[in-house]
Amino acid sequence: MADRSESDRLQQETWLQRTIRRPEIGSFTVMIVIIIALSMASNGKAFNALGLKNNIAIIAQYGIIATGAAMLMIAGEFDLSIGSMIGFAGMSMAMMLKWGLPFGLGEATPFLAFFITLAMTLSIGWVIGTVVVRSGLSSFIVTLAFLFFMRGVTEVSFRLINQSTQISGLPDYKETSWFADLLGGEVFGWFYDLWFALGGNLNRRGEQWVDGFDARFLWWLIIAGGAYFILSRTQIGNWIYATGDNKESARANGVPVNRVKVGLFMFTAFCATMFAACQVFDTNTSDAAKGNLQELFAIAIAVVGGTLMTGGFGSIIGVVFGAITVGLVANAVFFIPTIDGAWFRVFLGGILLAAVFANERIRKRITGGI
Amino acid sequence: MAEPYLRVENLQKQFGPFIALGGVDLEIYPGEVHALLGDNGAGKSTLIKTLAGVHQPSGGQIYVEGKPVNFRSPRDASSAGIGTVYQDLALNQLMSITRNFFMGREIKGPLGTLKMDEMNKIAHDEMLKIGIDFSDPTQAVGTMSGGQRQTLAIARAIYFGARVLILDEPTSALGQKQQMEVLKTIKRVRARGDIGIIFITHNEIHSKLVADRFTFLALGKVIGSGTLQELADEDIRKLMAGGAEMADLEQELAAI
Ligand SMILES: Nc1ncnc2c1ncn2[C@@H]1O[C@H](COP(=O)(O)OP(=O)(O)O)[C@@H](O)[C@H]1O
Ligand SMILES: [Mg+2]
Repeated sequence: MADRSESDRLQQETWLQRTIRRPEIGSFTVMIVIIIALSMASNGKAFNALGLKNNIAIIAQYGIIATGAAMLMIAGEFDLSIGSMIGFAGMSMAMMLKWGLPFGLGEATPFLAFFITLAMTLSIGWVIGTVVVRSGLSSFIVTLAFLFFMRGVTEVSFRLINQSTQISGLPDYKETSWFADLLGGEVFGWFYDLWFALGGNLNRRGEQWVDGFDARFLWWLIIAGGAYFILSRTQIGNWIYATGDNKESARANGVPVNRVKVGLFMFTAFCATMFAACQVFDTNTSDAAKGNLQELFAIAIAVVGGTLMTGGFGSIIGVVFGAITVGLVANAVFFIPTIDGAWFRVFLGGILLAAVFANERIRKRITGGI
Repeated sequence: MAEPYLRVENLQKQFGPFIALGGVDLEIYPGEVHALLGDNGAGKSTLIKTLAGVHQPSGGQIYVEGKPVNFRSPRDASSAGIGTVYQDLALNQLMSITRNFFMGREIKGPLGTLKMDEMNKIAHDEMLKIGIDFSDPTQAVGTMSGGQRQTLAIARAIYFGARVLILDEPTSALGQKQQMEVLKTIKRVRARGDIGIIFITHNEIHSKLVADRFTFLALGKVIGSGTLQELADEDIRKLMAGGAEMADLEQELAAI
C-alpha cells in the first residue's frame, strides 16, 4: 500500500482507447460517413477527376478561413469580420489591377496588388485586435462592428472608383505572372497525370480530363500545416493555448497575452486575404458581396472540428476534417441534382449543435467534470 | 543565526485612506517555514502581494540578502527569487502538466520549437523531488486533485529559481487527505535547506505541524511573533483569535 505511487493510478490505455478519446474522433467519424454517403448517392461522380477537383476547391476555401477562426477561438476570441475582410481584400486587389495603384503610382502588378492589400488587411487586423485587448470589450461586438464597417467601405469604394459593385473581365494574369499563377493557377498536376497514366481521368474523347487542383489546395495545406506545427510544437502555440484557457494565469506566468491575441486577429485577416487572392486570380473577377457569411462558416467548421467556444482547446486536424465534411455537403447538390440545396444548411445546423454538445463533454472530461 | 534571505522593515501599504498594512516587520530564513497567521482582512494577502511585486509599498523597506530592493513588477520579484503560489495557482486546466509547468518560460529549440521531451522529463523529475510521481506529464491539469495542483505550482516556482516560496492558504480549499499531501510537500521543500517558505493559513494545527516561526497579523499590524519554542500553545490560540482571550470570546458568544 505505502509503496504505491501516483503513476500507478494511471491506467495504461490501448492504442484504440487513446484513439477514441481523441477530440478529433467526432469530426472524423462524421467525415467518413459523409464521404461514403456522397460516393454512393452520386454514383461516384463526387470523386471522379472533376468532382474531386471541385470538392477540394471549396474544402480548401473553407479550410483556409476555418484555420484562422480556430486559432483565434483557441486563444479565446472570435472574428466576425472574416467575410467582410474577404470582400475588402478582393475589392482592393481587383481595383488596383483594373485602375492602377493608388495616388496615380502607375500600373499594379499582381505581386504589388497582393502585398499592398495584405499590408492593409494586416493593419486592419491589428486595429481590431488592439481595440479588443485595449477596451476589454467582447470581440464578438467589436468584430461585428467591423463586419458592417468593412462591407460598407468595400461597397462605397467600388461605387466611387469603379461606378459598379463588380469587376469582371480582368486579363488572365496567370498567363503572364508567376505570382498570379501561384495563387490562382493549378497545383499537384502530377496527381492527375498519374491518374491519367493509370488509365483514368479521361474525358469523353479519351484525352486527359483534369490537369490539376486549384492552387488554394496548396495554400490550405500550407496554412493548416503551419497552424498545426505552431500550435503543437512551438512556444507561441503554448502561449495561444494558455491565453485562451485562462488569460489571468497566463499573464501571471509571463505570457504576452495581448500580443498573442492581436497577432491572431492579424492571422485571421491573413487567411481572409489568401481566400480572396486565390479567388481573384482564379476567376479574374471580384464583387462587393464576396465572402458574405463566410465568417459564420469558418466558426461553424472550427466548432465542428472540436474547437471549444470558451477557448483553450482545439485541434487543427479536427478542423481539417470539419472543412472536408462541410465542403462536401455544400457541394453535394451539384452531384445529386435531385436534392434541394437548402438541406446543406439543415445539415450544418444539425452537426453544429451536435458538435457543441460533444465539445462540452470533452471539456468536462478534461477538467475533471466527468 | 544565519542571515535572513528576505527581510521586511516597517512595511506600510495604504489603499487611498485605508491603511492595509501599518508597519510590518518580517524575516524569512532559508530552510525554515514561516507561518503567517491572522483573521480575514488582517492584511496577509496585501503583505505577500507587496513582497511579490504586485503592490508597491507606501513606506518601509524590503531587503533581499541584506540589500534593499524595489519591486516594480511581479517579474522583478521573481527574478529576485520570490516565488508566489497564489490561491488560484495560476494553472490552466485544459493544458498538460508540462505545458503548465513551462507556461511563459518554455524551453526553445530552433525556430521557437518546444523541446517537449526535455520539458516532460524536467516536469516529471521536479515533481517527483517534492513528492508526486506522474508517469504521464501530458495529462491535463484539470484531471489532477487540488493537492497535486499545489505541488505542481510549487515545483514550478522552485524550478524557476524561487529562494522564498510564498504559499497563500494552500490548504484552505482542500479535503483532509489532500491537506496532508500539501503539508508533506512543504516539509520536503523545507528539507532542501535552501528555500524559505511563507505559509499563510487559518489553521492552527497545520501551522504547528510544519512551521518553525510564526508571525501574527491583525488589522494590518504584527501582534506577535516568535519561534515554535518561544510561543506556548496558549499564545498561539490567543493570537490566532486576533489577540482576544478565549474566555472573553466565550462570554461574548454567551451574551447573544
Ligand atoms: N486593492 C485594494 N484596494 C482597497 N482595499 C484593499 C485592497 N486589497 C485589500 N484591501 C483591504 O485591505 C484589507 C486587508 O486585506 P487582505 O490583505 O486581503 O487580508 P487577508 O488576506 O489577511 O484576509 C481588507 O480590509 C481589504 O478590504
Ligand atoms: Mg487572503
